[in-house]
Amino acid sequence: MINFIQFTLTRAGLAVITLLLVCFIVFSLMELVPGTCAERYLAFKNTQGSQITYEDIEKEKIRLGLDKPFLYRYGKWVSNIVFNGDFGDSCILRMSINELLSGRFTLSLTICLVALLFSYLIAIPVGIISATTKYATLDNTLKFISYLGIALPNFLVALCIMLFMTVYYGDTMTGLFSQEYENEPWSSAKLMDFLSRAWLPIFVLGWNATAFALQTVRALMLDENDKLYVMAARARGISGMRLLWRYPAKHSLGPVINSIGFDLNRIFSALPIVALILILTEAGALLIEALARSNDQQLAGAIIFLLTATIVFVNFITDIILAIIDPRIRKGVMGGG
Amino acid sequence: MVSNQKKEAYYTATQMQLVRTRFFGNRAAMIAGSILLFMIICSLFSDFLSPYDPTIKGRDKDYENGAPQIPMFWDENGFSARPFLHTLTKYRGADTNFRWVYKTDKDKRRYVYFFVKGWEYKVFDYNINLPGKVFDFKIPGFKFDRHLFGVEEGGIHIFGTDKSGKDLFSRTLSAIYISLAVGTLGVFISFVLSLIIGGISGYYGGWIDSVLQMFTDAIRTVPPIPLFMCLAAFAPLEWSSELRFFFISCLLGLISWPTLARRVRTHLLSERSQEYILAAKLCGASSTHIIARHLLPSFTSYIIVDLVISFPYMLLSETALSFIGLGLREPVNSLGVLLQNATKADVLLNYQWYFIPVFFLVVLILSFVFVGDGLRDAADPHKVK
Repeated sequence: MINFIQFTLTRAGLAVITLLLVCFIVFSLMELVPGTCAERYLAFKNTQGSQITYEDIEKEKIRLGLDKPFLYRYGKWVSNIVFNGDFGDSCILRMSINELLSGRFTLSLTICLVALLFSYLIAIPVGIISATTKYATLDNTLKFISYLGIALPNFLVALCIMLFMTVYYGDTMTGLFSQEYENEPWSSAKLMDFLSRAWLPIFVLGWNATAFALQTVRALMLDENDKLYVMAARARGISGMRLLWRYPAKHSLGPVINSIGFDLNRIFSALPIVALILILTEAGALLIEALARSNDQQLAGAIIFLLTATIVFVNFITDIILAIIDPRIRKGVMGGG
Repeated sequence: MVSNQKKEAYYTATQMQLVRTRFFGNRAAMIAGSILLFMIICSLFSDFLSPYDPTIKGRDKDYENGAPQIPMFWDENGFSARPFLHTLTKYRGADTNFRWVYKTDKDKRRYVYFFVKGWEYKVFDYNINLPGKVFDFKIPGFKFDRHLFGVEEGGIHIFGTDKSGKDLFSRTLSAIYISLAVGTLGVFISFVLSLIIGGISGYYGGWIDSVLQMFTDAIRTVPPIPLFMCLAAFAPLEWSSELRFFFISCLLGLISWPTLARRVRTHLLSERSQEYILAAKLCGASSTHIIARHLLPSFTSYIIVDLVISFPYMLLSETALSFIGLGLREPVNSLGVLLQNATKADVLLNYQWYFIPVFFLVVLILSFVFVGDGLRDAADPHKVK
C-alpha cells in the first residue's frame, strides 16, 4: 500500500511538472503571436479618435507589466492561475476571461467526452470483430465505414447533415441551444434542447475519432490473439466471445485506456472546425476566433491551458486506474502480488 | 496439403519476401494500393494531364462557375468515334431575368483531340527561394507544351470551373501533388526527428530516457491544431508561397514526431537487451555502429508501416490548417485550399462540382489507411500464413 501511495505521489509530481512544461510551451507560443496587449489597447483608443504616440505604447507596456522579463511574466501568469484562478483579461474583447469561459469550457469538454465515449463504444467491439473474424469482407466493410469517418472532412459531414435537417425539418441545427433557451439558466427543458442539438457535433467528432481508436484496438487484438496464453485457453476448451473477452480483449484494452487523454486531445483539436461550421457558442469556437482571427493571446492561452490541464489530469487518472486493474503493472508498482 | 517445395520456399524466404507475399494476398490493401499508385502517378504528371494552367494564368474568362463538361460520343445528331462537346454561349436577356446563363448549341460540335499543344510547363525545374542567398538554387529543366487532351476552340472543363474561371480538373491534379509533397516533406522531417529522439531515448535509457519522455509527452499533450495555429499565425503574410509551403511542411513534421518517437523508443528498449546486441558490444562495436547496423534494421518494417499510417494524418492536418486559412493560401493549390472553397451552403446547393476535389481527398486518405493496415498485417511476424 505504501508503494502505491508512493507511486501516486510520483505520478502526481510528474503530472505537475508536465503541466508546467506545457504551460511554458504555450506561453512561449503566445509570445510568438504578433502584437502585444498594450498595442491592442491603444489601437482601440486610436479607432475611438484619440491620437496615440510611441510614448503612449511604452507607458501602456509599463502599466501592464509587459516590460518585465519573459520568465517573470510566465511565473506571474501561472501563479495567478494556480493561486487565484484568474486568467486575466482579454485585451481584444476587453472583458475578464473567467467570465467569458465560465460554462463554455465545460460545455466543450462535455461534448468532447461524450464523443470520446461514442467512438470507444464503436471502436472496441468493431476492432475486436474485425481482428478476429474469418470473413475478409466483413472485416473490410467494418473498417471502411469507420475509416470513412476520418477520411470525410468533419466540416463536410456537419454541413451535409445541417442541410438535410434544414430541407426536411426546417431547422438549421446551428448553435447549441435554440433561441428561447440561449440565455436561460439550466433546467431539464434546456437540457433536452441541448441534447437535441448537441448530438450533431458529438456524432461528427465521435465518428472522426473512431478510426484511430479502431486502428489501435485492431492492431493490439491481432498481436494478442496469436500469443501462447490465448492458445492455451483455447486448448482448455474456452471459445467464442467468452474467450475473447476474458483473454486477449482484456489485455488489449490497457493501451486503449492509456491513450484516453491523447484521444481527448485529438477530439478537442477537431472541435474548433466543427464549431465554426455549426456556429457553436463554446470554447472551441472561441479558440479559433482568438487564434486565427483576432490574435487574442490571453484568451487562446487560457483555453489551451485549461485543455492541457484536463488532459494531464486524465492521463494521471488513467495511470492510476491501470495500476489498479492491470496485475502486471500493479506488481511493478506495489511489489509482490 | 502444402507441398514440400512450398514449405521450403516459405521457410527460406527473407522477411521482405514474406511481407510482400502477405501484402499481395490482401485484396483490400491491393485495391487501395493500386488506387494510391494511380493517384500518385497522375499527380506526378499533373502538368501533362491538365489541359489548363492551374493558376490564375489558365483561367477561362468566358466560363466562370461553369458546370462540368463531360465529353460524349453520341447525341441526337448521331454517333461519333471521336468524343466531342457541345458549344456553349454566354447569354443574358429579358427571358433569363438578365442573369448570365449558358446556352447549349447541340449542332456545333467541338471535338476532343489528344496530345495537343497547350500551355507551356516545365519538368525538372526547381527554383527554391528561401531567405538568404545561400539557399537559392535553380535547376533549369525542360519545357513542354503537349497535353493529354484538349479542344481547339472554347474550353474543356471536365470538372467545371471555379468562381474565377480556373479549371477544377487541373487544380485538383496539382492540389494532389502539392498536398502529397507537403505530406512527404512533413513525414520525412518527423521521421528523422523521431529516429534521433526516440533512438537516443531508447538506446541509452536511464535518466536521459526519462527527461526525453517527459518532453515528448509534453509535446503530445498540447492539442495539435491550436499548436499549428499559433505557429502558423507567426508566419508573416508577405512570405512567398514557396516559403510558406516549406514552413507548413516543417511545422507538420515538427509537431507529429512524438507518436513515432515513442514507438521507436519502446522497440529499442526491448531490443537492446537481446543477445545479439550484447555480442556486438562485446566485439567492441561503437554505439553508432550498433544503432545503424543492428538496431535500425531490426524494425525497418515497423517504421515503414508507421510512416504510411502517419501519412493520412499529415494530409488531414494540412487540410485542416489550410481550411482555417492559416496553411497554404490561394495562389497555391492544395486540397485544403480547394476544400475551403467548398464550405458554403450556397456552393452545396448551386455549384456541386466544387466538391469533386473533396472526393479525391477522401479516396486518397482511405487508400492510405487501407494500405497502412495491409502493410501492418503483412509485417506482423507472428502471423503464420
